[in-house]
Amino acid sequence: MLGSELFRLKNDFSNAGIIFCYSGYFTEGTVMGIGDAIKKELILDDTDPQTLRIIFSIFVEQVQNIIHYSAEKEIREDSQMLRYGILTVGREDEVFFISCGNKIKTNDVARLAQALAAIQAMTKAELKKAWKEGLRSGPPKGSKGAGIGFIDIARKAKGGIQFDFEELDEGNTFFSLKAYI
Amino acid sequence: MENIRIDATERTPEIDFNFQKGVFLIKEESYPEDIIAFYNPIMDPLKKWLDSQRGSDIVFNFELIYFNSSSAKVLMDLFDMLDETAIHNKVILNWIYDAEDDNMEELGEDFGEDLENATFNMVTMVAKE
Repeated sequence: MLGSELFRLKNDFSNAGIIFCYSGYFTEGTVMGIGDAIKKELILDDTDPQTLRIIFSIFVEQVQNIIHYSAEKEIREDSQMLRYGILTVGREDEVFFISCGNKIKTNDVARLAQALAAIQAMTKAELKKAWKEGLRSGPPKGSKGAGIGFIDIARKAKGGIQFDFEELDEGNTFFSLKAYI
Repeated sequence: MENIRIDATERTPEIDFNFQKGVFLIKEESYPEDIIAFYNPIMDPLKKWLDSQRGSDIVFNFELIYFNSSSAKVLMDLFDMLDETAIHNKVILNWIYDAEDDNMEELGEDFGEDLENATFNMVTMVAKE
């Protein structure tokens, strides 16, 4: 029973091209653990170092998005804030991808969708320009990082990015972002 | 100014700021958990020192293998700061990268192309096996 359930889950992953999946609370510790596994080729073996580096760097930006922005969170007794999300690494037709998903407030959807659509439409040169402007102008309101994580992901994702929003309930939406390397 | 030496960790770079010699190094990887806590204590004295220099020879070596977007912001500020210093000083920036690493090469070019006063060199190194 248990075996067949897990085997079915494993097959579902295989069918979706998913090689690795983490679903749960993300902490800086998970960043180190999964990041290290990517770098040491435990998740993807036989991959050229260049591709591994790009996967690793997109992974870091995506996880930092979850850690900073996931609306699904829990504050532990030691006052550490934990944020929930899901991250997958996989391959579709020989192209690697990294996807991440987390809950966000539905109020933030319009702003995020607009920013991502603009990034998606940019040429390589425009992405570079936006990246430099982002580095020089400081973080946008409500941002804890440099605010240029998405631009950074888009610059590295040679196969492009995709994003989606799925409304869950009153006030909450599931946001997902997929980057092709 | 007291020299600054910090060993690399998995997430933070090696720092070697030698104010006496005017030679500076940032090396390895940079994606600190708290970007401000790591960089402010070293960038503040550096900025003060750079502002006080006239006619000095200053060499800044960047030997990074990976940095995240928050660290890129620190690097951009640093490049701008060094270019400003180069109006009154001889400033050389060396971007040292693994010859196989196209991404680090591109990032070096992106940062370097905006420099107006400082000298910028792209330097390849042979990958460690």
